[in-house]
Amino acid sequence: MMVENLIWGYVYPNEAEIQWSVLIVLYPYITGLVAGAFIASSLYHVFGKKEIKPVARFALLTALSFLLVATMPLLTHLGHPERGIEIMFTPHLTSAMSGFGYIYSFYLIVVVLEIWLSFREDIVKTALNSQGWKKLLYSGLALFSYDISEKALHEDEKLAKKLAIIGIPSAAFLHGYVGFIFGGIKANPWWSTPLMPLIFLMSAIVSGIALLILLYIASMKLRKRAIDHKCLHSLAHYLWIFLILDVALELLEIVSMKYESLEDIEIINRLLSDKIAFTFYGVQLTLGILIPFILLLLVGIMKNRETLKMIMISVSSIFVVIGVFAMRWNVVIGGQEISKSLSGTLTYEPVFFSQEGVLPAIIILAIPFVILVVVTRILPPWKDMEEEVPESKPKSTIKHLY
Amino acid sequence: MNISRREFTKIGCRIVIGAAAGATIVESIISNSIAAEPSSTGDYDWNEHYWGYVIDTRKCIGCGRCANACKLENDVPFDEPVYRTWVERYRVLKEGEVKIDSPNGSIDGFTDDIPAEELKKAFYVPKICNHCDNPPCVQVCPVGATYATNDGVVLVDYDYCIGCRYCIQGCPYGARYFNKEKGTADKCTWCYHRITKGLLPACVQACPVGARVFGDLKDPASDVNKLLDKERINVLKPDLGTKPKVYYVGLDREVR
Amino acid sequence: MQPHLKRAIFLLGVVIVGFIFIRSLVVPDSYGQYGAYRGDSVYENRNFTVEYAGSQSCGDENCHKTLYSIWADSRHKTVNCETCHGPSEKHVSNVRIMPSPANDSREFCGKCHYKMVARPSSFPQIDPESHGENLKCAYCHNPHKPWFV
Ligand code: HEC
Ligand code: HEC
Ligand code: HEC
Repeated sequence: MMVENLIWGYVYPNEAEIQWSVLIVLYPYITGLVAGAFIASSLYHVFGKKEIKPVARFALLTALSFLLVATMPLLTHLGHPERGIEIMFTPHLTSAMSGFGYIYSFYLIVVVLEIWLSFREDIVKTALNSQGWKKLLYSGLALFSYDISEKALHEDEKLAKKLAIIGIPSAAFLHGYVGFIFGGIKANPWWSTPLMPLIFLMSAIVSGIALLILLYIASMKLRKRAIDHKCLHSLAHYLWIFLILDVALELLEIVSMKYESLEDIEIINRLLSDKIAFTFYGVQLTLGILIPFILLLLVGIMKNRETLKMIMISVSSIFVVIGVFAMRWNVVIGGQEISKSLSGTLTYEPVFFSQEGVLPAIIILAIPFVILVVVTRILPPWKDMEEEVPESKPKSTIKHLY
Repeated sequence: MNISRREFTKIGCRIVIGAAAGATIVESIISNSIAAEPSSTGDYDWNEHYWGYVIDTRKCIGCGRCANACKLENDVPFDEPVYRTWVERYRVLKEGEVKIDSPNGSIDGFTDDIPAEELKKAFYVPKICNHCDNPPCVQVCPVGATYATNDGVVLVDYDYCIGCRYCIQGCPYGARYFNKEKGTADKCTWCYHRITKGLLPACVQACPVGARVFGDLKDPASDVNKLLDKERINVLKPDLGTKPKVYYVGLDREVR
Repeated sequence: MQPHLKRAIFLLGVVIVGFIFIRSLVVPDSYGQYGAYRGDSVYENRNFTVEYAGSQSCGDENCHKTLYSIWADSRHKTVNCETCHGPSEKHVSNVRIMPSPANDSREFCGKCHYKMVARPSSFPQIDPESHGENLKCAYCHNPHKPWFV
């Protein structure tokens, strides 16, 4: 049989099939992008990093677009998607997974409220200045309350900041907890490490910032507007810092595993040197961390030559986004490619057309971009991103927003 | 909308309580109208038993009748690589390498493909769900669709399982599998439908050499207790702290 | 508090109350009866059909009494009837349903008796090539009492 060729050594008979497919790789990847984008926006909202302001609201919309699809890979993967809601009705609290429903919902509420508060002024203005269904839509979004006095906006701003302060730990929790889903599995030596949540969190922030950089550059190019290089460099700077933290943790995990050399080291070595050698050393570490690290370092050193720097930043962001995907792959798939008998490995062969195949994964990964286009139509964040403010709105209103 | 904060919370509380009460009433009406019949409890009292399982690897002849009987008894598909119990063969070569296999979970038996002269030693090890006292699969189930009963058996709720397969990842023994037909996780139940009727699990009954012994740990005279009192016992992967209730006699260090 | 915030919180409240309401309707009654699981599931697990009736039921009453006593007296007494004959609970509860015939091939006896390195050496094993001249085992051995040639 074909299955046999994919197996080396002895795997338990029930392990012949890989249970968590590429869809489950997607799930931590997407929540990672959410957490990263949110934390990037918090750099402005909470820590007052003014350079980030142009993308602060855009980052929130990005977080929302990805957050809305975060459940999709999970639901598609379930044997009984219709029972999925049980995780909220009867969460079994000893399970690391049971918190998902509540943490997710809480976070969704925080993000939606945050977006609502930061866009409320625009919403109300559009509601007041438009007709027909558009008026209805925006009035609905404004909850039929049109108070945008100086005082009201100031209150909103204060609340938004408080929410963002709550948002950071909950973003960290949402994603660190995804790491714990894997890190808490003592049966699997490749997963079971207390560092897992932190590694997930750092790579999440890294991927979120990188995605934000890419989306920012792309949307500015598409809208044919000038890029705010100060903002871009500042984002690149944070990307660089978090890359260092990320690689430190990832290496710490491998080094301590190899140094301690427990019972499972033989199979781990086999995993690293054979099964995931390319995706781990090649894509995750070299392409995803080392090259961006050097490029970003150069960006920091170089003077002027903005176009070249922008290209270098975009290239490193692309590499980071790919590298973090490889990292999720290495964790989720890599962990299942070693047998829990510790004396054999198996190989995951993705199928294209199937419920858990590559096709649904691609579709799910494409949806957030569609959502983002729609959301930015409804709630355009552009005016903070573009230096020339459209004539209709006076510049001073922007200040009131936060 | 001129309500004070306190009033607002008051109203809020009322609404919540009201909704909860309303729900209970609606629910009681629904469940009354269906007149759910109390499930037949029979005369089996699960507090009087605590089941255990002993495997004597020295006796096993690797005929695979246990794995075969299990599939027939529990309607486990024969054409899929899923097993509630299986038998592994360990062969230690003279040069030191250990060969482990379990072709089709031992259902078709084994064939000698390494000549005896090249082997240092060889033996069979039956495997089955350990029904751990500290079951990691139950711990990780997000909805409570798998649980340990009062008589010490870990079961799956096939009508409640969402099919996330976290428990399959969580089991260190590879004892769980995904039932494609039902779309749920599945596993050995120690033939719960048999043992609660006073029968033996199908695999124990099928074993021709008495390598598998099943009984009540609460009964000092039971077969399992006789062996546990006499033999040197080990369990699989004791370092994981799962506290298995499948006890092995004559376990080799190579077995994991 | 400002009116728009009140409305937002009210909306959130409605959602939460709606959730509590639906939850209390949907969660099965027996959930939590014995622990964090659906109590009825225990009974469902108990009520699966039994396929293997056990050897005792073959020797019961006026069924296979003689065969049973022969078997019970033989070295095959540890080999249950249904290990060779297949699950027969349906036959036991309704004699009209015949169990499928026992597998009398050499390979089947060989599953237990062919010589194998990993088998304990004390177990009676034969060399499939030389033993019994390639005839069916039942030609010389009685499966119910292997030494009753
Ligand atoms: C080792 C395997 C084995 C076991 C154990 C076994 N049988 Fe059989 N049985 C056979 C085979 C093989 C045949 C077919 C006999 C033949 O072809 O001569 C058979 C035939 C029979 C028949 C058909 C009538 C006959 O005598 O030819 C009956 C009835 C029967 N068995 C009952 C039993 C009962 C009752 C038991 C348990 C007490 C039992 N068997 C245990 C292998 C077995
Ligand atoms: C499920 C396993 C199993 C099958 C199938 C089986 N046997 Fe046996 N057989 C045994 C066991 C167990 C013994 C008893 C060994 C002992 O007492 O040590 C035994 C004993 C015997 C003996 C006596 C050996 C001796 O040294 O006294 C013979 C002969 C025998 N079997 C023949 C057969 C034949 C013929 C068949 C096929 C119809 C068959 N067996 C099928 C398990 C099996
Ligand atoms: C031609 C008749 C004949 C056939 C056919 C036959 N046997 Fe035997 N068998 C014997 C005789 C005679 C003995 C006793 C002498 C001996 O040990 O070889 C015996 C002994 C045995 C023993 C006991 C061996 C021991 O070392 O204790 C087993 C087990 C056995 N047979 C199994 C089988 C099985 C299984 C088959 C079918 C694959 C089979 N026999 C077919 C005649 C036969």
